[in-house]
Amino acid sequence: MAIGATPAEAEDIAAQVEITFEQLPPVVSMWEALKSDAPLVHEDWGDNVLVDLKLEGGDLAATKSAAVHVIERSFRMNRMHPLALEGRACAASYDSRLDELVVYVAHQLPVPLQIGLSQVLGVSQRRLRVIAPDVGASFGLKTYLESETVCVAWAAMKLRRPVRWVQDRYESLICDANCRDYHAKVTAYADANGKVLGMECDVIVDSGAYSPWPWPAGIEGGLAIGNMQGCYDIRAFRGRAINVVSNKPAGQPFRGVARPLSCIGHEVVMDALAEVVGVDPVDIRLRNFVRPEQMPYASITKKTLDSGNYGAALKRVAELIDVPAVRARQKKGEPDGRLIGVGFASFYEQTAYGTGPFGYAMWGIELVPGMEPAVARLTGDGELILEVGTHSHGQGHETVFAQLAHEVLGIDPHKVSVRYGDTSTCPVGTGTYTSRSMVSAGGAIIEACEALKAPITRIGSHLLQCKDAEVTIRDGRVFGPRGSVEFAEIGRAWYHHPEDLPAEMDVTGLTATAGHKPHDPGVFAYSSHGAVVAVDPEIGSVEVIDYAIVADCGTRVNPLLVEGQIIGGFSNGLGNALYEESTYDDQGQPTATTLADYSAPTAPAIPDVKLEFMETPSPFAVRGIKGIGENGAIGPPAAIANAVNDALRPLKASVLETPITASRVRAAIMRARSAGTA
Amino acid sequence: MRTINIRVNGKLVSRAVEDRLSLADFLRDHCLLTGTHVGCEHGVCGACTLFMDGKPIRSCITLAVAADQSHVRTVEGYQGDPLMQAIRTAFNHRHALQCGFCTPGMLATAYDMLSRIADLDRDRIRAELSGNLCRCTGYLSIIQAIEDVHAKHVATAASPLSS
Amino acid sequence: MKPVQLSYERPDALRGALEALRQSSSNARVIAGGQSLGPMLNFRLAQPKRLIDVSRIEALRTAAMEGQTLAIGACVTHARIEDGDIPDVTLGLMRHVARGIAYRAVRNRGTIGGSLAHADPAADWLVTMIALDASVRLQSAAGIRELKVADFVIGPLNTQLAETEVITHVLVPRLAASGRWGHAKYAKKPGDFAETAAIAIFDAERGVARVAFGRRDEPPALMQRTSNQLGGAHGRQRGNLKAAVESDLRDLSAKPVDLMLHRAIVMRALQDMVS
Repeated sequence: MAIGATPAEAEDIAAQVEITFEQLPPVVSMWEALKSDAPLVHEDWGDNVLVDLKLEGGDLAATKSAAVHVIERSFRMNRMHPLALEGRACAASYDSRLDELVVYVAHQLPVPLQIGLSQVLGVSQRRLRVIAPDVGASFGLKTYLESETVCVAWAAMKLRRPVRWVQDRYESLICDANCRDYHAKVTAYADANGKVLGMECDVIVDSGAYSPWPWPAGIEGGLAIGNMQGCYDIRAFRGRAINVVSNKPAGQPFRGVARPLSCIGHEVVMDALAEVVGVDPVDIRLRNFVRPEQMPYASITKKTLDSGNYGAALKRVAELIDVPAVRARQKKGEPDGRLIGVGFASFYEQTAYGTGPFGYAMWGIELVPGMEPAVARLTGDGELILEVGTHSHGQGHETVFAQLAHEVLGIDPHKVSVRYGDTSTCPVGTGTYTSRSMVSAGGAIIEACEALKAPITRIGSHLLQCKDAEVTIRDGRVFGPRGSVEFAEIGRAWYHHPEDLPAEMDVTGLTATAGHKPHDPGVFAYSSHGAVVAVDPEIGSVEVIDYAIVADCGTRVNPLLVEGQIIGGFSNGLGNALYEESTYDDQGQPTATTLADYSAPTAPAIPDVKLEFMETPSPFAVRGIKGIGENGAIGPPAAIANAVNDALRPLKASVLETPITASRVRAAIMRARSAGTA
Repeated sequence: MRTINIRVNGKLVSRAVEDRLSLADFLRDHCLLTGTHVGCEHGVCGACTLFMDGKPIRSCITLAVAADQSHVRTVEGYQGDPLMQAIRTAFNHRHALQCGFCTPGMLATAYDMLSRIADLDRDRIRAELSGNLCRCTGYLSIIQAIEDVHAKHVATAASPLSS
Repeated sequence: MKPVQLSYERPDALRGALEALRQSSSNARVIAGGQSLGPMLNFRLAQPKRLIDVSRIEALRTAAMEGQTLAIGACVTHARIEDGDIPDVTLGLMRHVARGIAYRAVRNRGTIGGSLAHADPAADWLVTMIALDASVRLQSAAGIRELKVADFVIGPLNTQLAETEVITHVLVPRLAASGRWGHAKYAKKPGDFAETAAIAIFDAERGVARVAFGRRDEPPALMQRTSNQLGGAHGRQRGNLKAAVESDLRDLSAKPVDLMLHRAIVMRALQDMVS
């Protein structure tokens, strides 16, 4: 470690360190990794396979013999970086008065980080405080036990001085755990009408050199095949996911995790099936969707689709996009010579799942979320503090959790503080990830606030000299038959004037602790996306000229925040589809090491998205709420790929790799030309 | 080391600094004005954008010594400025920030385009925002907030330093 | 990413800058807006011991006619050109190009001289100045010389600028009112460096027909046969122009998939010129 008084000085010191490397042959791609004579990333392993997962159900053999149409497509989704705008950072110091190591860190999982640091540093959890204050976005990036944080914490203890590290963008693009890097081969077996009877998929995931603790490598492959059947009623299935290691940074979950790949898998195949059967891409999907009356629907990949109307969402998207107008435009041709295409993607998103056998525990994750805690405390002056184990880094929990308290207790949301991110002052929860906070922490907050009603009623009825049953709570006041008292008086009585309290009072008083157990299989939000693109057939560039989303996450507690999550996710998905790639040369050197090379979408790339909602509450979640955080990012690669390939259809070209860069489109057009003249 | 004198948010700041120190780091570490954010240190992401001598610039690739004798306005320096107040209100109403890391740069760019350009439609707003990266919002709420303010305010020759 | 230790000075007059360069040449770098050099300093790709900031030298910020040539001070910013703050001798071409350089915050500091001295092959001013047959005026303590930009640029990030020299002016010949220009560029996103750019200029009155082509990794160059064909046929015989373009493109050692892009951009610049 190079430690200096300023970051510049630390870099000066680091520049003086000379390291002699013995260069070993690198494994740079999943294909290399799988070769029998490949160099071994981990010498004590026999091969480069991290985990090999299989998932099967139904009678696939029977399906294959009954099938009239067989569609096979292969797809490559290249490596990406989550690219939170704020890089990673930490500062650690040892508090000698409390005999406690205090670590400030940009992170979305403070408790898992505390647990990991504790194990690695040999400092018990009691003596290790992790504080994750304002965090400049994360999307899954800032979830792992980072070696830099370990080093900085160790140095702070050793030197007995505060030590800080702030990552720069160059470091971030070179050594952060990055994401995606998949290949999928999907085969659908359908009857004469295009009803898919069975599906096979083989997925390979390049997991980089390690699993970043606490995420197990199995999570990506498991999710990829576990969600490959999509919203469709498919009764036979075989899936296999091989996670390999390579000499790249650890691969880890990023917004959507493997579902953008599953989505491309099932949606590209659906479009291909539509063409072969001779029907409209909307119709083929309507023929295959799980129907509302079939729900809750136990899928062949062990998902229980709880509620929703996939067909209605898709039909509405088709209306918003105005498919007939797009088809007419395609026929007419563009004055500038660009090719127009339209593509759809329908998918579900499993959110807020728990201890069930088909989720975290199955994938071997170190920390399985169980009961989600929340503490609600009415203060001496009648205001409310909510403490949660989730983490808000842009999601607006400060607003929406206060809203929940208002819904239950009638308290003005401006009189509610939401506290998170400090392992010493917040209840122990696993943090914010996999679109769980609204359901889990939201459920816990509702329960905690409900639990506060009893002591408020007790004290209120005593002060108002009436019976509990005669009291109502609303607008931050307690109303009895002859008057009312405000929460401040309730607080004053409990904290300052116990002589004014009734004889029988629960000792927990005005502090309520709740643990909410969400429905273990999770609850399933879903969306339909529709994209219209214009492809320049000479340059290969793709412009998204129209886009529609119909999303359903059940009850929306704060519609504006939900919209923000979807549009934000959409921009990440669009980046995945068209721009973003972490590239490596054939020696494994990263080549996208600045923001000039790693290209993320800017405002001109984002069309005016037509966004509408359906609200089909989940029967399995409190207030019918479903998670939504990752939803927007899942659909765009599939919708845009389908649209681009629709545009390129007259040229008999197709692109089955993301990002769909201008260079790849040109290459596809050139390949089609030479195939045509061959 | 040399002593530089910069008027930061109207107040004269005099400090001894290394020649290689960036303006962004000067403001954050020496002036403790941490509203200026550093996202890339190569002038691409726009998070560090602030006003120097009346124009938006990238503070991550500007040396503090190069800002000697200049007027610098950071996101903390708009007390009472009606245009910035209108922009902030619109950002709030439209949920034009989530994590907030890009926001100081977005506010500076918004302030610049609203002051400088009379004819702002959504596509022009997009073009002017092309140097400010956001990963959270997907930009549409930011574009809408700026459009809201533009509808109410005509571009003026207001100096961002007037206070 | 912080720079190495260095010392910074900001002379008020050109004489001071030239003297500093004469003394320290190999250890000193000139900095103007810092939009190209700033990132290089942060990445430690540039490690000068001495930085000489010329951005406040008044003599380098003027723009005035010298006969039929506009002498643009090297420290004139892209934003000033975008805003029409200097005389327009290129029928709006320079204003149009300026507006597409990076982003406004970068344009407020970046300078035309800095851009040419840095000579990133994808820089907009490079291909534009070659198309315009512009020159640079270089000055050192020992004297002044002028070079055509096409000769000034040797390779990517490599120019004829001596370590003791500073670009003082960019010299742009005036286009006649009847002249025409066309511009086309492909960048992944607005504000990015271009993958490919082309500028076509036709000025019958001055006998100028030039088509310049720029891309990554190689400095921009004049497309000789295309330029000759343009001049000869007055752009009227598209068929021959296409063949000339193909011929010039064959000289670039470019992959077929990139040739497809280059071809499109050159043809669009020519189309832009006549429309």
